[in-house]
Amino acid sequence: MLVLLVFLPGLAWTAEIEILDPQLQAADDGYALSADFRFELSPRLEEAVNRGVTLYFVAEFALERERWYWLDQQIASTSRTYRLSYHALTRQYRLSTGGLHQSFDTLGEALRMLSRLRGWPVIDKNERGLMTADGYDAALRLRLDITQLPRPFQISALGSKDWNLSSDWKRWRVNLPLPEAK
Amino acid sequence: MKRFVAAGGALAATIGGILWFLLLMSTAADTVVFSRNYPLLIVLNIGLAIAMLALVGWQLRSLWRDYRAQVFGARLKLRLMLMFGVIAVLPGALVYGVSVQFVTRSIESWFDVRVEKALESGLHLGRSVLDSLQEDLAEKARDMAIELSDVGDPGRRSALFRLREEKGVQSAALFSVGGQLLTSATGDLGNPLPELPTQSELRQARASLGVNSIDGDGEHLTLRVLVPVNSRLLFEEPRILLVTQAVPGNLAADADAVQDVYRDYQELQLARDGLTRIYALTLTLTVLVALFGAFALAYLMARRLAAPLYILAEGTQAVAQGDFSPRQAVYSGDELGVLTQSFNRMTRQLDDARRETERHRSELESARGYLESILANLSAGVLVFDRRFVLRTVNESALTILDDDFSGLIGVDPAAWPRQHALGEFIREHFAAADENEWQAQLELERANGMPQVLLLRGSRLPEASGGDVVVFDDVTRLIAAQRSAAWGEVARRLAHEIKNPLTPIQLSAERLQFKLADKLVNGDADMLARGTQTIINQVQAMKRMVDDFRDYARLPVPELAPLDLNALVGEVLGLYESSTARIDCRLAERLPPVVGDATQLRQIIHNLLRNAEDALEGRDDGQIGITTEAGRRNARLRIADNGPGFPVDLLPRIFEPYVTTKARGTGLGLPIVKKIVDEHQGSIEISNAPEGGAWIEIRLPLVREEEPRHGHHSGR
Repeated sequence: MLVLLVFLPGLAWTAEIEILDPQLQAADDGYALSADFRFELSPRLEEAVNRGVTLYFVAEFALERERWYWLDQQIASTSRTYRLSYHALTRQYRLSTGGLHQSFDTLGEALRMLSRLRGWPVIDKNERGLMTADGYDAALRLRLDITQLPRPFQISALGSKDWNLSSDWKRWRVNLPLPEAK
Repeated sequence: MKRFVAAGGALAATIGGILWFLLLMSTAADTVVFSRNYPLLIVLNIGLAIAMLALVGWQLRSLWRDYRAQVFGARLKLRLMLMFGVIAVLPGALVYGVSVQFVTRSIESWFDVRVEKALESGLHLGRSVLDSLQEDLAEKARDMAIELSDVGDPGRRSALFRLREEKGVQSAALFSVGGQLLTSATGDLGNPLPELPTQSELRQARASLGVNSIDGDGEHLTLRVLVPVNSRLLFEEPRILLVTQAVPGNLAADADAVQDVYRDYQELQLARDGLTRIYALTLTLTVLVALFGAFALAYLMARRLAAPLYILAEGTQAVAQGDFSPRQAVYSGDELGVLTQSFNRMTRQLDDARRETERHRSELESARGYLESILANLSAGVLVFDRRFVLRTVNESALTILDDDFSGLIGVDPAAWPRQHALGEFIREHFAAADENEWQAQLELERANGMPQVLLLRGSRLPEASGGDVVVFDDVTRLIAAQRSAAWGEVARRLAHEIKNPLTPIQLSAERLQFKLADKLVNGDADMLARGTQTIINQVQAMKRMVDDFRDYARLPVPELAPLDLNALVGEVLGLYESSTARIDCRLAERLPPVVGDATQLRQIIHNLLRNAEDALEGRDDGQIGITTEAGRRNARLRIADNGPGFPVDLLPRIFEPYVTTKARGTGLGLPIVKKIVDEHQGSIEISNAPEGGAWIEIRLPLVREEEPRHGHHSGR
């Protein structure tokens, strides 16, 4: 109850990230996701990055099939974490995903890279739920993971617009399987 | 129910404690798990604090309600709880204030302009070193590019090797404009090839003089420089030279360390407010939870302390209402426990004592009841006086004998009795005069319109222990009458016997004298003899008759009892008095039940009484005799009254004694015989003078007994 009360205002403000044109494409061993995000860092977040605080962005994807007789069946769900950090010594911004990382001279370049999601393999070919050809509900969102911030920022972030950066769940309908892309 | 509440409370307390502990831990420790869940912990602890506030509020409210309702012990509980609460709050608030100040101050003290300056300078120093290294490398790369531009394609590979050696560069590689690796030279074979340049880098390198960049992080920093190699030949396309050089390890490490600290410092500075807030929040929550916990505990402790008082209060009230059942015992070693136990012991003793008293009382009551029933069923009358010689108790027989209900006499000194004055005076005098503890005396009480009543009184002083006096008395009127009657009977029998014997010779002698001398006497002598002997004979016969009467009186036969109609009997006797001079007024009850009696004897009674009345009315013109029968409940009443002179008052007491007569010729045996017959019929007779003059006699004869059950039924009504 109390948790709800605290987070409800947060939910109301969560439209800072806009998701454009999400698409599933057939890839070698399944389906890959592409999408564009449009957002800006608040001055406070920018300052934090420039002072060396690492920001964690989490992209989450889920695929569900509607069932009239029961809760919707979740077929696939996956997430990917991006770390955005600044190295004062080399004056470079670094964006890492898993083991890969890229360096950028400006924050804008790093954010542009972050906002262009391309070829994220989200569904395995052998996913059991995909055996039937049907319409599915796909959902995607991107958010700044506050819980991975250092603790003092977490308290500041509670109910503060400056520190909240996330999108709503973007839902769209796809018919699977998709025709093979040549 | 109570156990569930207790278990729930314990569970909630445990969870709260864990949450609290986790909050403290997560504020203090710097671990990922706590750090991640910190906001959740904060929220949960706020929830905990609010829940405890609600708990304390509820406790206070219930206490206040008790207090308002003036429940016993509520005042003490409230006071105890407030005291405990104050004890908890004062130090808590003090520590809290000091801690908040302390934390805020110490966080502020972390930041120092000089430290910041030093860190920034260090960072700048690192950057400058890296810049100069890179500048150096770029210079070398440009030299190499100039030299390589003079060399044609075939000789480039060897030239590149040579130049790398000369310049002391870690690795060098030559790319086409399209990014294809043409040739490369590495100083250390173990090192992998440098990262391929990206298209944008290549473009940038071709357009300008060169591109500088630094790769890697931490201790492994690599400087990269891209420069174009412009061929002298016009038709030959340009190449791109990539030169890399690792930054010396210790330099890189130092720079990295400076950078890390700088970053941490910056982060801290950015989070200064947040830090202050986090510590303040944690402290506040901790203190609140602790305080509320202390209050809740205080409530429990106060209740626990006051519980024995409740039990005592309940017990006291119960005892006041007469309930001596034992209270719930409080098994604690302290004084309160001892108190409740003593209380229980006390109530038990009270209970025992009460039961004992009750037993005594019931014993006394039964003894008293026993005595009372004895007294009530005693035929003798009993009067009991207390120490002050005031009448206390009168039994039923006394009331019957004296024909008085004694109202107004009980509780009064006999000297002051408004009625029964003679009796009271008599008793008083005898008690005053008696030397011994006992006395016995006979008292004659005058009764209006009747014979005096003779009482035999025996007085005795009760032993000193109980005190008082008792008078037991019997109505001996009948006894004395019977004694007299018996004595007269004996006298009559003897007289009859002694007198009758000489009478016959006397009569015979007189007749013989008459017979022998009648012829021999002349003149008046013969007449005189005849008169003399006649007189003798008459008198002797009268005497004989009198003697017979005596004998009859003494030897009255035993009546043969049988049911008979009293009215018929009266009618039969009245037949003999039809020629009477007096007017006989006869009123017989209709439907008179049969009485039990001997017809002959009863006939004689009626005859005797009527003759008495007639005798009394002799010589009067207005003589009138009334004869009445009436049915009573258990007996029939026969009343005979006349308007004659009545009985002389001085004679009334002894009217039933033989030889008491008012008539000149009477034997004085008429009424005694009547009395005797009535007595033998178990009836009663009463003789008095009517207020308007004349004698008044009433005889009661028992009726024939009905069936017992019906009789019982009647008496029950």
